[in-house]
Amino acid sequence: MLKCREVVNEADQFLSYDLSRSRQWRFKFHLLMCKHCARYIRQFQALKNATPFMHPKASDKEVTRVMDSIDDQAPSL
Amino acid sequence: MINSDSLALLKTGDKTLFSILVRDHHRALIALATPIVGTSEAEEVVQIAWGKAYNAIAAFEGKSQIRTWLSRIVINEAKMQLRARKKETLFSDLGSTDSDSDLLEDRFSQNGHWETPPANWHYDSPEALLMGDDLAKCLERILTAMPSNQRAILEMRDSSELPFKEICNNLSISASNARVLLHRARAHLFKLVDHYQETGEC
Ligand SMILES: [Zn+2]
Repeated sequence: MLKCREVVNEADQFLSYDLSRSRQWRFKFHLLMCKHCARYIRQFQALKNATPFMHPKASDKEVTRVMDSIDDQAPSL
Repeated sequence: MINSDSLALLKTGDKTLFSILVRDHHRALIALATPIVGTSEAEEVVQIAWGKAYNAIAAFEGKSQIRTWLSRIVINEAKMQLRARKKETLFSDLGSTDSDSDLLEDRFSQNGHWETPPANWHYDSPEALLMGDDLAKCLERILTAMPSNQRAILEMRDSSELPFKEICNNLSISASNARVLLHRARAHLFKLVDHYQETGEC
């Protein structure tokens, strides 16, 4: 059986089907047997899905500054 | 968020819609530029990139996420700035993977199995996991403290969703180095969220 440490280190390759077929299978087998790793993989995926939203929205002031600089530009058309 | 109906209008140069894009993505783009050109230059780079994006918006085909499309413009602009300043590499610690150890290592016992398994996380939506005022400050602190090469890869891959190969080309580093750096950056985030979920503080 794979070690949990290996599962954690290769999680990304597993989720993008980048492992060899036999290793992919051993990985799946491990996840069936080990609830900690199954949880790790589930939460690792959730974290990846959340990362594009980790930066807060810009303030009104920031938006205005950008839009003003666009207004100041000479039109390229 | 821009949906497909408003995309057509956006492409005509509608400024109200464009300002929504700015609101949604500006901070992420600053965060993307920061590890490449540094904090003091990042804002100017992104400012210029917004102007270029506005002029090129009619060419956006919707094949990638708009964040990805904007990110490419920012990275190009950042590289031009570096060239203008005659700096060759993006950061001094570029391909180095030895500045930081593996953060989750202490969670395993000697035989390689979990000693301290992850907590069971609760969150209402995928977006919600990294939101929240308490978490935001800690997140900011952790991102700032990260080696800049780790941070650059995290922003490019997981926030801007650029293809892995493109990132390696951008940074001129090997796939194996990039993978190690990305793994460490994600481990930082995982540990932060895990601790926050378990204790309510970070
Ligand atoms: Zn396991």
